[in-house]
Amino acid sequence: MTPNSTQTPQSLNSTTTVDEVAVSRAGVKNQIEALVQALNSVLLGKEQQIKLSLACLFAGGHLLIEDLPGMGKTLLSHALAKTLGLSYNRIQFTSDVLPSDIIGATIFDKQSNSFRFIEGPLFAQLILADEINRATPKSQSALLEAMEERQVTNDGVSMPLPTPFFVIATQNPSTQSGTFALPESQLDRFLMRIELGYPEPAAERQLLMHGDRRTHLNTLGAIISPAELSNIQAAVGAIKASDPVIDYIQRIIAFSRLGSEFAFGLSPRGALALLQSAKAWALINDRSHVVPEDVQAVLPSVVEHRLRESADFTGHGGGALAQKLLGSVDVVS
Amino acid sequence: MAEKPITPGKNAPQVGMAYQIPRNSLALLMISQVVVILPLAVYITPWIIGVGLFSGYWRTQVYRGRWGYPAGWVKAVLVFAGVFGIALSGYGTFSLEAATSLLVLAFALKLLEMKTRRDAYLIIFLSYFLIATAFLFDQAITMAAYQVLAAVIITAAMVGMNQLQSRVRPLASIKLAAALIFQALPLTLVLFLLFPRIAPLWSIPMPSSSTTGISDTIKPGDVANLTMSNELAFRVVFEDEVPPARELYWRGLVYSEFDQGTWTVGRPLPPKATPPAAVGPGIGYEVFLEPTQAEWLFSLDTPVDYGPRLKMLGDYRLINPESILSVKRYRLVSDPQYTQDPQLHGLLERRETRLPDEDNPRIREYAKALLADTGSPTAMVEAMLAQIRNRDYVYTLQPPTLNNENSIDEFWFDTRRGFCSHYAGAMVFALRAADIPARMVGGYQGGEVNPRTGHVEVRQYLAHAWVEVWIESAGWTRVDPTAAVAPARVENGLNAALSGEDRAALSFLTNARLGEGDLLSNALQFFDSVEHRWNFWVVGYDAASQSSVLQKLLGEVTPARIGLALAIGGGVSMFLVALTLFWRRRPTQRNPAERKFFKFASAMARQGYARAPDETPAAYLHRLAVKAELDPQPMVQRLQSFMYDPQASLSEVERRQMRQDFRKLRFRLAFSTPGKAS
Repeated sequence: MTPNSTQTPQSLNSTTTVDEVAVSRAGVKNQIEALVQALNSVLLGKEQQIKLSLACLFAGGHLLIEDLPGMGKTLLSHALAKTLGLSYNRIQFTSDVLPSDIIGATIFDKQSNSFRFIEGPLFAQLILADEINRATPKSQSALLEAMEERQVTNDGVSMPLPTPFFVIATQNPSTQSGTFALPESQLDRFLMRIELGYPEPAAERQLLMHGDRRTHLNTLGAIISPAELSNIQAAVGAIKASDPVIDYIQRIIAFSRLGSEFAFGLSPRGALALLQSAKAWALINDRSHVVPEDVQAVLPSVVEHRLRESADFTGHGGGALAQKLLGSVDVVS
Repeated sequence: MAEKPITPGKNAPQVGMAYQIPRNSLALLMISQVVVILPLAVYITPWIIGVGLFSGYWRTQVYRGRWGYPAGWVKAVLVFAGVFGIALSGYGTFSLEAATSLLVLAFALKLLEMKTRRDAYLIIFLSYFLIATAFLFDQAITMAAYQVLAAVIITAAMVGMNQLQSRVRPLASIKLAAALIFQALPLTLVLFLLFPRIAPLWSIPMPSSSTTGISDTIKPGDVANLTMSNELAFRVVFEDEVPPARELYWRGLVYSEFDQGTWTVGRPLPPKATPPAAVGPGIGYEVFLEPTQAEWLFSLDTPVDYGPRLKMLGDYRLINPESILSVKRYRLVSDPQYTQDPQLHGLLERRETRLPDEDNPRIREYAKALLADTGSPTAMVEAMLAQIRNRDYVYTLQPPTLNNENSIDEFWFDTRRGFCSHYAGAMVFALRAADIPARMVGGYQGGEVNPRTGHVEVRQYLAHAWVEVWIESAGWTRVDPTAAVAPARVENGLNAALSGEDRAALSFLTNARLGEGDLLSNALQFFDSVEHRWNFWVVGYDAASQSSVLQKLLGEVTPARIGLALAIGGGVSMFLVALTLFWRRRPTQRNPAERKFFKFASAMARQGYARAPDETPAAYLHRLAVKAELDPQPMVQRLQSFMYDPQASLSEVERRQMRQDFRKLRFRLAFSTPGKAS
């Protein structure tokens, strides 16, 4: 038997029936490729992070971007808002931002002689919550209620927020003085937390040679429509996860609950988040089903901010724990 | 002392994460201290319990941050005062009680300096030691069960010591400790059965509490007091059928001296050199004697076979070399037809006819007249029994009090109300007064058969005294005057002989035991049978029974074989535990796709291509294919859709291709060196 004699049948996708899903998935594939390409042209050399944040939004979750100043957090969130074609507002959090600055307020209208609710910046499809940890807990919870319930309450009246509704929050981990760190219960509401990290030398060189990409941002237009976005979200829901993958996720969850280095285990919401993100990742990689690689790819972003080491009271051990989960839990039981 | 001011910085609780005792362990430690001291509490002086409670309170206050640890001089004063107190408590210098008291005292005071983990471990190991100590005093099944529980709590404290500070879950530690103890059971069993019971290298001073049961002096009324107790005296297992109750005279002591109304054993006779030779067929039985703190043993009639360890004295009673401090198991063969002393030695005759010089004048006169009247000792005994039977003598547990000087006269002629020892005493006195050798024998009469295990139970209320009279050529002959006054006592047991008044004087439990067929007596019988089995299988498993078991197991008993048996037994027991653990933690059933891949992966691992846990099947196959210089892409795709795509149903051709992929990889990589994964 020689190496060349191996047959390579390319008829793996032998499904001859061209069904609707296949067609829409082909369309989705092109849209996603276009999105990634557009975002890549703004934020250089960060394809992984771009894909992760897309996966987060496709899975219908909120995104937390945590990194040092100047790494492109705001740039990425702006670019995402623009390319996804969503109405967006940016809220710059400071310690004196009040809930009414976010939600809106009821004011007296002289003309009609009645009270009128003026919508705050929260009423948009995509919110860029910049430096969320600078706000007081009171203002943070106003935003976080909106994230969970997708509605706001003012003077006892609940008002629905537009759909889709996304929050992309950024925070700066290094200068903690004068900040209010988000507690675990609120961190849990973000589907993913990503870090951007320093760019590759090549990408940085390109940046230095060709100038700031911020100007490029203005030329960026909507690549997909909200309707197409909801189509993509539906496609995420249609991705299949087989028993071995579910078993793998369950083993990860169980490991986090039993291991003594974990202060507490992953919640059922965390488990759901992991599966949903893996599905979105599978879609981005043009697959109809989830494979363990998908779970592994999204795992750090999904679980790091939900975990805390037993011996660590400050809550910054999540990264090591995620690596522990990756390294210790067998993919195949 | 309680108001001692805290000097911060000097005696303040130490702070330091690594050395602190975890909170949940501290609670368990203090609980386990109480638990291990509790069973010892009855054997040691009560004030030590007070010291323990005081130390516990102090330590709790330290924990709550109210008080500080005691200063060095306070501890020194406490220790010296404690030792001095024990010295004054009236135990012997090297008695077991004194030693135990000292241990418990130190154990209690240790609480006051329990700061670091090291101290806590010391407490834990001392607790285990105290558990063992308690068995020196009591080896009943209830005690054993209690101590297993105590061991669980101590182990839980140790588990708690090794838990993380953030996980304070005492119940979880107790559960884990119980599981650990349970897993240790098979090994315990093996060690119990096989580990050689080596004779102690030094002797332990034994508990010195007073004797229980029949004592070596009898005042009139003593036996009646015993009758109030329903404690167990001993259990007997007969090898053949159980003889009728009227023949069960358990001889324990022979009282040969009388003075001031009190019968005593007197100077013991020298032991016999050889056991008596059997005449007729013997009765074989095994006795499980409860601790009496005395040496005497109980036997039927004349024991003709009693093993090499026991000794028989001149009056045919058996003696143990040591005091009986735990359940004593011994096997005897008794011969009812044996004639004790057909010829009586002159010295012995003088011993058994001796009386004080001048007391009870009326009965002396009466005896001489009676012997003259009847002519022979046998006839005289008959005449006395007839008198008891026919005149108004009454059997009662509550006789009137007699004065010591002429008590026998008073009883025989005036009050005529008495218990077995009254009748036996009067008869022996009368016979001796007529120069006929006679002696009083103390022991138990009768016994109740437990229907569950078939053993005979003898309790203190069956305590009895009777007469042995020496008759020319017939030797020592048993005469029971109680049988004359209350035939039912001997024929049908104590219950039948008691008046309503007597019954009322007995304790509730005695009455319950004497009763028949009701729920309570059934329950008591059940507990008794459990206890008997415990004595039979566990407490009674001594060096002798062990050596016979070893003989059966090993054939020839050599140290090497015992070692081998221990190793094998220990190995097997550990293996069993490991097997159950493995079985309970085996992975859940794999689905067919994973099973196939797993089989392939294990085969490859044997060839040196192991898969890392986090290496996905696709990555693994890719690595192998590259190594085998095959095109990885189609293989990986086939495998991935086979394992993870629920919609793809692979055709038969594709499945065959996948199997071929696996085979190809195995074949290709069979002869290459694994090397480092690229």
